[in-house]
Formats: sequence, C-alpha cells, structure tokens
Amino acid sequence: MCASLLASPAQSAPRTPFDDATVIEKLPFRAGDSRARELAALRASARKAPSDAVIAAALAQAYFDTAQARSDPRFIGYADAVLSPFDPQMSVDLLVIRGMLRQYRHDFDGALGDFAAALAQDPERAGAHAWRGAIYLVMAQYDKARQECAALLDLQRPVLQGGCTGLVQAYTGQLTSAYATLQKTLALARYDEQHLWLLTRLGEVSAWLGHKARAERHYRDALALGRDDAYLLAAWADFLLDNKRPAEVVKLLAGWEASDPLLLRLAEAETLLRVPAAIAHVQALDDRFAAAKLRGDTSHRAEEARFQLRLRNNAVLAVQLAAANYQVQKEPRDLRMLLEAALAARDPDAAKPARDWLQSTGFEDALMRALAEQTLQLPPVVKKQVMAP
Amino acid sequence: MMRQLAMAWVLLVCQGTAWAHKASDSYLVVDVQGNTVTAQWDIALRDIDFALGLDRDGNAEITWGELRARQSDVAAWALSRLALTRNGNCPLQVSGLQVDEHTDGGYAVLHLSGMCPGARGALGLHYRLLFDLDSLHRGLLRLTLDGATHSTVLSPTSGVLQFGPTQATRWEQFSQYLVEGVWHIWIGFDHILFLLSLLLPAVLVWHMRHWQGVTRFGVAAREVLWVVTSFTAAHSITLSLAALGLVSLPSRLVESAIALSVVLAAANNLWPVVERRRWLVAFGFGLIHGFGFASVLAELGLPADALVLSLLGFNLGVEVGQMAIVAGFLPVAFLLRNTRFYLRGIFVLGSWLTMLVAFIWLLERAFDLKLLSP
Repeated sequence: MCASLLASPAQSAPRTPFDDATVIEKLPFRAGDSRARELAALRASARKAPSDAVIAAALAQAYFDTAQARSDPRFIGYADAVLSPFDPQMSVDLLVIRGMLRQYRHDFDGALGDFAAALAQDPERAGAHAWRGAIYLVMAQYDKARQECAALLDLQRPVLQGGCTGLVQAYTGQLTSAYATLQKTLALARYDEQHLWLLTRLGEVSAWLGHKARAERHYRDALALGRDDAYLLAAWADFLLDNKRPAEVVKLLAGWEASDPLLLRLAEAETLLRVPAAIAHVQALDDRFAAAKLRGDTSHRAEEARFQLRLRNNAVLAVQLAAANYQVQKEPRDLRMLLEAALAARDPDAAKPARDWLQSTGFEDALMRALAEQTLQLPPVVKKQVMAP
Repeated sequence: MMRQLAMAWVLLVCQGTAWAHKASDSYLVVDVQGNTVTAQWDIALRDIDFALGLDRDGNAEITWGELRARQSDVAAWALSRLALTRNGNCPLQVSGLQVDEHTDGGYAVLHLSGMCPGARGALGLHYRLLFDLDSLHRGLLRLTLDGATHSTVLSPTSGVLQFGPTQATRWEQFSQYLVEGVWHIWIGFDHILFLLSLLLPAVLVWHMRHWQGVTRFGVAAREVLWVVTSFTAAHSITLSLAALGLVSLPSRLVESAIALSVVLAAANNLWPVVERRRWLVAFGFGLIHGFGFASVLAELGLPADALVLSLLGFNLGVEVGQMAIVAGFLPVAFLLRNTRFYLRGIFVLGSWLTMLVAFIWLLERAFDLKLLSP
C-alpha cells in the first residue's frame, strides 16, 4: 500500500532480491577510472582542507565538467554544495563557478549577478565576460552580448571573442559573416574542446544556411575528436532528423538513454522508424518529465514541448510549454519549437513572438522563415475550439 | 587555469540549452496516526554510494549483498538526517530494507517505524538528507497526519516544516466525518429499526383499543418531529460525552441495551404501554444509542486537532441519515395508514419481525453468541 502512495511516476513496488549477487544499480564510474580517481582525490583534499577556496574551486569545476560530459545534473548539485559553505565570502573563482551552475539551472539573473560580482573583483576575468555573453544570447539581448564580445576583444582573447561574435552574428541575420568568423576562430583554437565546440557551431550555421554537405562535414570532424559531448550529439541528431535519416540517429544514440535530451531524439528516430523500442522510450520520457514536475523543476520545458508535439501529438500542451520556455530561453531552437507547436495547434497568435523575433533579428534560416509564413496562413481561430487530437 | 579560462566560453554553449535531467530526489512517505509513525523512504543507491561508498569492489555495480552489508551504516546515516517531533522527538528505527526502481535507477527502500511522545498537536519534520553534499537534492514528501494528507518538496531552504491543526484541511475533516455519520446510520440496522419502531405508530392513533389512521398529516408530522428530535438530542449528548472521554460504558452492555431498546420499542407497538409520550422513550433510549455511535467513532479515531468539528460533523451526518429515512417513510406511511396492508402487514407483522430480530441481537450481544449475523 505504501508503494501506491509513493509520489513516484514510475511503477514502483519494493522488492527483496533473492540473491546477494543481484546488481541493483550501475554507477557512472568504476573506482579505477581516471575521472573517478581525479574526483576522489580532489574530494579527499577538500575534506582535509574544508576552508581552502582553491581546492573547493578545483573540485566544483571538476564536478561541473563531469556534469557536462555525462549530461548528469547530480554533479551540478555536488558542485553547488562544495561552494555553499563559502557564501558570502566568495573568491572570483568560486563566483564564476557558481554563475555557471546557476545558468545551468536557468537562473540567468542569479548567474549574471555572480559574473558581475566576479568582474567587480577582477575586471580582467575573461571567462565571466564569455559566460555573460552566452547568457545574453539565450535571453536574446544581442546588444548586451556584443558588449561582452567587445570586452573579450579588449582582453585579447581571440578564441572566446570569435566564438562570441560568431554567434551574435548568426543570431542576428548575418549567417555568412558568422560562418566566416567561426571558421577564422577555428584556425586560432588550440584545444580539442575548442575545436569541438567551434565545429559544432559551424555545423549548425551551415545547416541554417542550407549547406547540408558542409554541415555534415563539420559535425563529422567534431565527432572524430572522439570526446563525449552531449550537445554535439544532440545537434548532429537534430541535423539527421531534419534530413530524414533517423536510422543513423538510432545508431548514434544507443547507450545515451540516461540523458533526457538525447533520449528524446532517440525516441523520435525510433518512432519514425516504427521500432518497438520507441514505446518504452516514450514512456520513459513521460516518467522523467513527471518526475521533474514533482520536484518543481521547470527547466526542461523546451524538451517537454518537443516531446508533446512530436511524440505525444498534443499540440495544445506543446504550445503552452513552448511559450513558457520562450519566456526564459530565446535561442533559434526554442523559437522553432514555438513555431512548430503553434502551427500544429493551428494557433497563429501563439507564434507571434517567434515571427517578431525573425523580423527584428533577420535570422536567415529558410526552414524557420517558411514555418513562420505558414503560421500566418492559418485562419484566426477561437482558442477554445482548438483541441488536442 | 589559463586553459580553463579559454574553455569557459567553449563549455558554456556546449550546454547552452542547459538540459534539465534527473537530479537527486528521495521519496518519503510518512503516516502518523496519533503517536504511531510508519514510513517508507526511497533513497537512490547512487546517492547512498556518494555519501557512504557502497561499491566495495569498485566495479561500478552495486549488488544487493553490498547494500545489505552496509545496512546499519545506511540506517544510521539516513536516520541522522530526518527528525520527527510531536510533543517531543519521535525516535525512528529502520524495520526493513528492500529495493525498488524509479526513473533514474535503483533505490534502497527503508521501512521506518517509531513512536512519538504525544498523539496530538502539530507534527514537526526536519529533513536534511544529502543537503551537505548535493544542494539540488530534494525530498518528495507525502505525509498523512491523522488521516489528512500533505505533499511537499523538501529543499535546503524548506527542510524544517510544521504540520498541524491549523492546516487548511478542516473542511475536509468535517465532511469526512459527516459522511461517516450518514454511512453509519445507514448500515446501523439497530438504529434504523429502533427509529422505525417509534415512527410506525406516528401515523396512527390508539383509539378504543384499536389502531387507526390519524386524520391530518400535520399530526403525524408533529409526532415524527418530536420523536426524531428527542432521539437526536439524546444520542448527541451521550455521543459527545463518550467521544470526549468524559463517560465510558462497556460496549457489550451498550450493544445489548440497544438491542433491548429495539425489542421494547417494537413490543410497545403490539401492546401499547406508552402511546402519547413516545418522545420520552426516544430520548431515554437515544441516550443508549449515543454510546453505540461513540464506539464507531472511537474506531474511526477523532483527530486531536479538530475534535469538536469532527464530532459535530459525525453528529450532523447521523442526523442527515435519519432525515433521509424519515423523508422516505413518512409520506408513504401517511398515504397507507388506513389500509389493511399498513395496519396488519407493516405495522403488526413488521413490529413482530423487528422484535424477533432485536431479541436475537439481544441474546447474541448479551451472551456473546453468533446466531444471526455472519
């Protein structure tokens, strides 16, 4: 009876395994893995010197990196717990990391506050400018983003500045210049991480420009670096899905089910291919969104909108989610989802923010422009008549 | 450091979408009834491993054996991070360990039990599992406190909570007891039979050693009103006295007396002793019936924080149930009052049957036998 009361979306029924050898959970790392050893060593040092801000910063950064690579938010919570004892006497390093953690959770105002505090202590902290630029881009505040790019130029950080400028150009109707800027920056980059990121963005820009072959080349170059990167996998999977190549997505994302955004793309591909696994994966996503809702987490709305639209055929709910997400995140993919959902729900009004954005930025993606045009063709509808299929 | 700096921009947009995934949650279901606490606490095995280290052989797999070997450590760790209070601390213990799965993997299921110093008043809950290690951890609490359910998300800023009398569940409690009252009168055949035995003659008048129908509906209605009101007033008095713990009688005595009251009420229809002041009979025996209702209420348990309200609800519920019976009975009885069917079939035969059944109840209850009821 207790189990049925449990506030869990999963079908839960406590059980007692028969055999001591029964495996009840798989951990992300073996104790001997290099990352596990690094984390364990840092954690041990931090335990020995709990007031050492340098060690704390190193440990928090390592957790953050792990969260990124594995697409695993538990490490964000670990990193935050490492920092919190230092509040409010936080060093620049700690402030920057806390800002990163806050933006991860979509607390953009909090993050901007941390970066501002860090820059007040150390005006030459390029990382803080770079992060602020990225946040302003997500918030569609392009003038402010440009100021951050300029600050990076002043600090003579050409790679960060190139990435910053390239994206501002891409989002504001200058895809060709954006491509050139990113390409130029790629030549300056020295680390694999930088190459991977720039190649991924080059792939996206190429796809928006309609240069499919070039986009594919950039994505494949990025993949060839052989580093786990959830964002790259998601962007490449989206490209494949847009180009009706779902079979490759299924191959690409096998084993990445733990990551919600990647599972979403995997389930989309499986649904298109009518593979039996699709049913279980769609259900798993449903459960995960329900679980997030239980803990009051709203930062997954972009994915949930896409899930409702493409896998649940619930256009009305998808529009609501996409519109709520748009209040927080205003990147091209967020606007595209709003357009797609509004179109499916036959709700031209809902698409208005996206049309306005296209108009004001001059964003050049042909696909999104066509979607926006179609939403204008919709007859004006009384909203109550719009029903979920 | 330089390299990290250079990477900042790079990393940031790598997760610029800032995917939300499954952060750490525990699922805590607590049931507090008076001073008795039972609970089920599902804690992710990954989280236990992060806090205590479960993977003894370092192969990235946690087995049931590895968890069981650390059961006492896990219990001590978890219990040191959860405190319940009701008039003082409620010591908890782990009474069982199982496993389960949620959306993000395997969980240890801790079954907890404990006793509070007090059975009434507010319940305090202090939750701090993992907050020192993972500030995004949340406890998903579902608490049932004396029947009223509260759900909430426990976070580092809301880990200390009070649940209690002033919660907005008063109306719910009131209506819950109202429904119980209605239900009890409907399934309490002894009460219904007693009431009907008193009501059957309400549409008749004893005249020249014979029963005959009353002339006007108003006469019957006034009689019914008197009987029902006195019955109600009487059982409300004793129900309240008993429920508040001021008077208590052995239930065997009460139940037998109730059966006897039905026997006597039915007998009075056949061999009238009391014809005019039946409301006095209703009042007198109503006192006994009130103790019967009280024993039902005792089984249900009255919430300490809404005692009077629940009592009132239960009483009103009994009233509503009675009124429904009266409303069904009176018009039909009035219409049929001069027919042979009513005078012979319902009134005489019905009273005989009632007396018989009630007599058997009396024997059963007085001598603790099983004759009729299954």
